[in-house]
Amino acid sequence: MIGLLKGMATTMKHALDGTTFTVEYPDVAPEVSPRFRGVHKFSQERCIWCRQCENVCPNDTIQIVQDDQRNGEQYNLHVGQCIYCRLCEEVCPVDAILLTQNFEFTADTRDEFVYNKEQLKNVPWYKGIDPLNSREPDRGAWIGEGDGEIDYQ
Amino acid sequence: MAGGVTPLQGGMLPDTIAGLLPFGGLAADVVASLLGAFLIANFLLINTAFAGPWAKRKITAAFTDRIAVNRIGPFGLFVIVADAVRLLSKELIIPEGADRPAWDLGPLLIPFSALLGFAVIPMGSGLQLADPETGLAFAFAASSIASLGLIMMGYASNNKYSLLGGLRAVASNIAYEIPLIVTGISVVLFTGTLQMSAIVEAQRTALVSVAGVTIPQWFAFVNPFAFALFVVANVAEVGRNPFDIPEAPTEIVAGYQTEYSSVYFVLIYLGEFIHIFLGGAIAATLFLGGPAGPGPAALGIVWFTAKIWAFFLLTQWLRSAVPRLRVDQFIEIGWKGMLVLSFANLVLTAVIVGVITTL
Amino acid sequence: MSLEDPEPDAPARVEERSPDELAELLGDDIIDREQHLNAPGYVIRPDAVQDVLSTLRTDAGYDHLSCVTAQEYEDRYESVYHLRKFDDPTQEVSVVVPADRESPVSESAEPVFRTADWHEREAYDLVGIEYDDHPDLRRILLPETWQGHPLAKDYDQDRPQVVPLRENANPLQEDTRSEQDADTMFLNIGPHHPATHGVLHLKTTLDGEQVADVESDIGYLHRCEEQMCQNGTYRHQIMPYPDRWDYISAGMLNEWSYARAAEDLADIDVPEYAQVIRTMCAEMSRIAAHLLAVGTFALDVYGDFTAIFMYAIRDREKMQNLLEDISGQRLMFNYFRLGGVVWDLPEPREEFFEKVRDFLEEFPTALEEYHDLISSNEILQMRTVDTGVLPPEVAKNYGATGPVARGSGVDYDLRRDDPYGYYDELDWDVVTDDGCDNYSRLFVRLREMEESAKIIEQCVDLLEGWPEDDRTIQSNVPRTLKPDDDTEIYRAVEAAKGELGIYIRSDGTDTPARFRIRSPCFSNLQTLPEMAEGEYVPDLVAALGSLDIVLGEVDR
Repeated sequence: MIGLLKGMATTMKHALDGTTFTVEYPDVAPEVSPRFRGVHKFSQERCIWCRQCENVCPNDTIQIVQDDQRNGEQYNLHVGQCIYCRLCEEVCPVDAILLTQNFEFTADTRDEFVYNKEQLKNVPWYKGIDPLNSREPDRGAWIGEGDGEIDYQ
Repeated sequence: MAGGVTPLQGGMLPDTIAGLLPFGGLAADVVASLLGAFLIANFLLINTAFAGPWAKRKITAAFTDRIAVNRIGPFGLFVIVADAVRLLSKELIIPEGADRPAWDLGPLLIPFSALLGFAVIPMGSGLQLADPETGLAFAFAASSIASLGLIMMGYASNNKYSLLGGLRAVASNIAYEIPLIVTGISVVLFTGTLQMSAIVEAQRTALVSVAGVTIPQWFAFVNPFAFALFVVANVAEVGRNPFDIPEAPTEIVAGYQTEYSSVYFVLIYLGEFIHIFLGGAIAATLFLGGPAGPGPAALGIVWFTAKIWAFFLLTQWLRSAVPRLRVDQFIEIGWKGMLVLSFANLVLTAVIVGVITTL
Repeated sequence: MSLEDPEPDAPARVEERSPDELAELLGDDIIDREQHLNAPGYVIRPDAVQDVLSTLRTDAGYDHLSCVTAQEYEDRYESVYHLRKFDDPTQEVSVVVPADRESPVSESAEPVFRTADWHEREAYDLVGIEYDDHPDLRRILLPETWQGHPLAKDYDQDRPQVVPLRENANPLQEDTRSEQDADTMFLNIGPHHPATHGVLHLKTTLDGEQVADVESDIGYLHRCEEQMCQNGTYRHQIMPYPDRWDYISAGMLNEWSYARAAEDLADIDVPEYAQVIRTMCAEMSRIAAHLLAVGTFALDVYGDFTAIFMYAIRDREKMQNLLEDISGQRLMFNYFRLGGVVWDLPEPREEFFEKVRDFLEEFPTALEEYHDLISSNEILQMRTVDTGVLPPEVAKNYGATGPVARGSGVDYDLRRDDPYGYYDELDWDVVTDDGCDNYSRLFVRLREMEESAKIIEQCVDLLEGWPEDDRTIQSNVPRTLKPDDDTEIYRAVEAAKGELGIYIRSDGTDTPARFRIRSPCFSNLQTLPEMAEGEYVPDLVAALGSLDIVLGEVDR
């Protein structure tokens, strides 16, 4: 009986102290970590069309189309299929593809989740946080990894 | 309607209404009775509307550190309207092989029986429909009709979970109704009458008076043991945690209500909430002096409402922290524990009555 | 270690026989010897499986059949039985059973180890080996109507497998299981039921409210994760997937299972600093996973609106925030890399350590609250003590591991018995309980969280004092990793639910030739009939809750 009452006292304590843990989304934008992995942002200016991101992607989310001169024509990314593993960003030698903190994306059909390079370029930063800057202290981890053993195919 | 008119409650509600009508005779009696019943039923439905879609969410959220409904209207109150529209506009799915009309009658019986029980409850401020000499027996009898609805729903749904739920409902009602009524009878030992108004009246005298503060002779104070027993049996009777065996969503999905949707779902929930309030109302009448409370007698309805809401709050509190019993333990506690205790309580009460009368 | 040279400094808690002695013990049943990276392998005659396994079990003490791996070669089929000892899991033996290319049949191990039942059914289902003497050789993950065996070489991936409804059994028919016993009622619990924690289907036969028979029907969430991993490259593409097996915040632990197997396979060193980070993250994941287990168990036993579930979710949320700070995601971390971890701790480090310490400071109070709400509650004790009983011998026979085994008094924890990471340097205890019932399993989880908190605290202390110039988080791993041809390894870690093992066979390319996942939930779920039969439906639900299965890991 004492255990029973202790349990009831505990819940009543929580009821009376008035604190809540939940967030009133979307009125209050939730905090996300600087490392959070959201929708991709693509920069055509930086991209050297090495296709490493396309190769490393575990489930063929990225599709790159090049002409016969190996100049990039299309860069398509299916954000609905993506598993947000961030490997594309990790292998990219020039930071052309970045994962922003932005997790808010909606569409009516699956097809609309296939972003082309224009749409990828226009993905906004979440709360104006530049993912590149926010990750700057950590970037040594994968840049310059594997001395002399990186094989760009 | 041979009701002893007590100063606290004024007259019976239909009599009051009949007095206001421009015509008299039998027609006035009939019209007044219907109007009175309409008034009482609507009062309860409004309470239920607050309790179901809104208060329950808010209370549960408070226990679990959440915010809950706060978007529509002040404090999210308009969610009641939104929910009503949502629930009523849903598709009514009738399972193949449902045994009609039993399947349709079940959900109607539940709110009906609970509302019927309120006919004899003195709610204070002159709000009482009838006051028969067998009022207490009537209240218990009316609330038991719900069991019939539950087994109709359980059996007619053509669903094994519903069947299990229906059988559990009957088993639990039988096991806990007897201790409930026996404990209720211990109050009758004090009062010597089954009439609800007389029971309330009997609790108005002072028990003790200490330093100007008068503690009335509420039977909860006279015999707290009986009150505790009654509350436990009552929680079981209305099927709330830890005794929500007939529903037990994590075991038998939702028991007898598994197959019900839309309007029938609303009716079942309506019935359950009114049932909780009826349980609270009987407990309040028997043990907490009915509508009694400080202030003028006209405030009776306020105190009465506060008491039935307190019982509702208790069920929600239990729900947040007390585990559900297993069905065999539940029945065992009913027959081996509660029943024995309730008879022991009867003996105890007889002794207390003897002491009080000799003093 | 090699055949002639068994690892000399292995903790000799249990008498160990040398591979040659074992070969002698098995005698004529052996037709060939192999060497796997983790254990000696004996190729035996396909009709001597039961003899060999029972000899190894009774005479040599290999009482834990942790995994059965089936695979197809160009010229033969093969079933590998990975045996180890509950008392000392570093002692391992692989029993390799070849089967004919044309008619792959070998003897079943089910009469010796009950756990082989489901493992062999899965092997039959996915690879197509048939097991003689198996009591119930049916498909287990795929539907009965499936054509072909997906992991077999001649399987046509593009062929549609459309089965019209009329070819499936009508679920509305057949109300009683047997004609003789009309008193029983057949009840489908799941696949959509509030207490099955996912898409699990329990075919239950009830006698009144008592469970006369229960059979789990799994595979609703089958994604052939093994094949997905076989299609991915070692270096990058496999690591995101372990997060999706036990997807309930236990991702770091799952990632470690793959990391451990692949690192041993390709002989990759992990810097000590990274090992400490890994250990810390893994224990954070364990706390998060156990919190959910406790919360959902409370949900099953208490009823639908219990506050405990929300409190558990709230505390898990705090842990997820920490994990998000470290890895960038809340569930699908993808934080481990072969040879280390992807990122150092988040900057500013002091702030992060502060957050972790805050959590650890509040955590004992929170745990105290759980004890007030759950374990000291009399009604809960009434409900859970002596229900869902799983005796230790039965647990071992079914290959149960993790809190389920430890709740049955089986003192088996790979973090201590087969040390990896930084665990052997830290001060913590393995929690066991002899109750063997639902309550013990719950209690073990609650106590394990305390131990995990202890480990995290020690890791934080270590990381805080770590010299700045020695913070290597990844060793040098080539971008294209190609382990040696025909190397086989089975490595396991202690995941949230038990022994999560990975078997990899390499074929000299940059993708595994066979990738097998030994899921703890898969083996644990097998014990459900033992626990639930004869009990009431509520106890069946409680037993299922106390097993803490995640269907993503059961079905993979």
